[in-house]
Amino acid sequence: MIRVEGLTFQYDMKDEPVLNQISVDIEPGAYIGVIGPNGCGKTTLVRHLDGLLLPTTGDVWVERMNTKDPDDVQKIRQMVGMVFQNPDNQIVGMSVEEDVSFGPGNLRLPPLEIRKRVDESLEVVGIKKYAKRPPHSLSNGEKQLVAIAGVLAMAPKHIVLDEPTAYLDPSGQKRVLDVINRLNKQGITIIHVTHDMDEVARADEIFVMNEGRIVLKEKPAEVFLRVEWLKELGLGIPKVTELMWQLRKMGRHVQTDIFTIEDACLELSTLIKARKPSGLSIDDC
Amino acid sequence: MIVDCRLASIQYRVSSFMYKTGQYISGESIIHRLDPRVKIGFAVVLSILILKGEFLTAVTTSAFLVALIPISRLTFRHMAKALRPMLFFFVLLFLLHLLFTDGTPIPPFPSWRVTVTYEGLFRGAITTWQFILLILSASILTMTTSPTELVNGIERLLRPLKTLRIPSHDIAIMISIALRFLPTFLEEIDRVKEAQMARGADFKTGSFIRRVKSSVSLIMPLVLCSLRRADELATAMEARGYRRGSRTYMRELSMVRADYVAVAVMVSMTGFHFF
Repeated sequence: MIRVEGLTFQYDMKDEPVLNQISVDIEPGAYIGVIGPNGCGKTTLVRHLDGLLLPTTGDVWVERMNTKDPDDVQKIRQMVGMVFQNPDNQIVGMSVEEDVSFGPGNLRLPPLEIRKRVDESLEVVGIKKYAKRPPHSLSNGEKQLVAIAGVLAMAPKHIVLDEPTAYLDPSGQKRVLDVINRLNKQGITIIHVTHDMDEVARADEIFVMNEGRIVLKEKPAEVFLRVEWLKELGLGIPKVTELMWQLRKMGRHVQTDIFTIEDACLELSTLIKARKPSGLSIDDC
Repeated sequence: MIVDCRLASIQYRVSSFMYKTGQYISGESIIHRLDPRVKIGFAVVLSILILKGEFLTAVTTSAFLVALIPISRLTFRHMAKALRPMLFFFVLLFLLHLLFTDGTPIPPFPSWRVTVTYEGLFRGAITTWQFILLILSASILTMTTSPTELVNGIERLLRPLKTLRIPSHDIAIMISIALRFLPTFLEEIDRVKEAQMARGADFKTGSFIRRVKSSVSLIMPLVLCSLRRADELATAMEARGYRRGSRTYMRELSMVRADYVAVAVMVSMTGFHFF
């Protein structure tokens, strides 16, 4: 359980606060999406969750430990794993397995335990065959999987991902998202910052941020209903939801609370079946 | 297609660079499997013996290194490749000694206004040979020891210095990050170069001064990129629990019988030459 209480953060006392009075609870095992326009404080917020940044006022609690307490910082960083945007700039090791062993090494685990965790983590993300390869020989998607394995080897309860797919091609993006979903099913809390609404369509809850505040905290279905409001913030909606809205505008009777491709297929097929076969022409579209 | 070619060319350039500098060649030879500490120690001892510069040590160390090449399952071609980038330096070294050493002149040369002496010839040959041997011993070390093991070995050897407050873990991490980012950095040079060329920068023609000036447009983005990289990397390392002080490693080194034999050979070689 992560609890944020009245968190305000300023880089400089003279400046406007980057985060303004944020209070939120994150339940264990939840999948949280964090969205918001550029500069709204998403990254700053998630960097508070493992004590990389400390609140100017307010507190952040991870499993009842305060991130301000220097004695607990190491324990908190073990519990809350962080995956960053740029895949290259978070890999330290000269080989994949050595990089994954970096975190457990910092936790001062015995060599045999490190070995075990490295093998397991690489297995989970599905890149065991690259264990001995130097990181620069991997694709960006694979590098990001290495970064996730490196976090997993520390046996975290929560994983924060700050735009993990920003540098990836579509196939890399899919592999990373699959792994994230799988980890969530195994009970790890996921806090996923992103620009891509499709990525968080399956989240349990979405935090919409704007100007240093969480302005909406709802299930994806509720969030994506507010199409006009999201667009005003400069945010989009999932592509299939957009499609449904366009169809509705053209007078078709479709549901607009559709966020995944599977649901969209179902909805469209019922729409097509409901039509008289003769009535379908190109002019209708 | 174009992207493919570009990637291939980058990879080629990176690999050829690494190769020349004595890159690790994976293998299962007895030398490959030795403890990296022993190998580092051996390279240091050999270097000292080589730099002693006596005829007898030159002969024994040469014989020893030449014998090591097949034992390490390396070929003389590997060695030639490691030495080739240094060729100019070797020639220069030899000529300097040949031309600027006093002593007994070799008869036919004084007519050319330069004095070439027997002593110069001898010293030039010995010094150049010494440097060739140094490079050979370093190459055998790096070709039979993976960078990971090498850093591991260095870290372990530096550990006793902790009492003098020399942070062996930090040094090991520094070396490891430098090696890890070398290929990334080379790729980045290519990327920036191409980006600047697309904007009309010219790195190939013009006077020396002009080229130095135009290289600023290459160096500035590289420096800025590296600084940002360093900043992000530091954050990521912190997030993964890195801090000052001791840490543990996946591979703990342990000496086996072959390592003790190697140490015995090393000690007896040193003893033979110094006493």
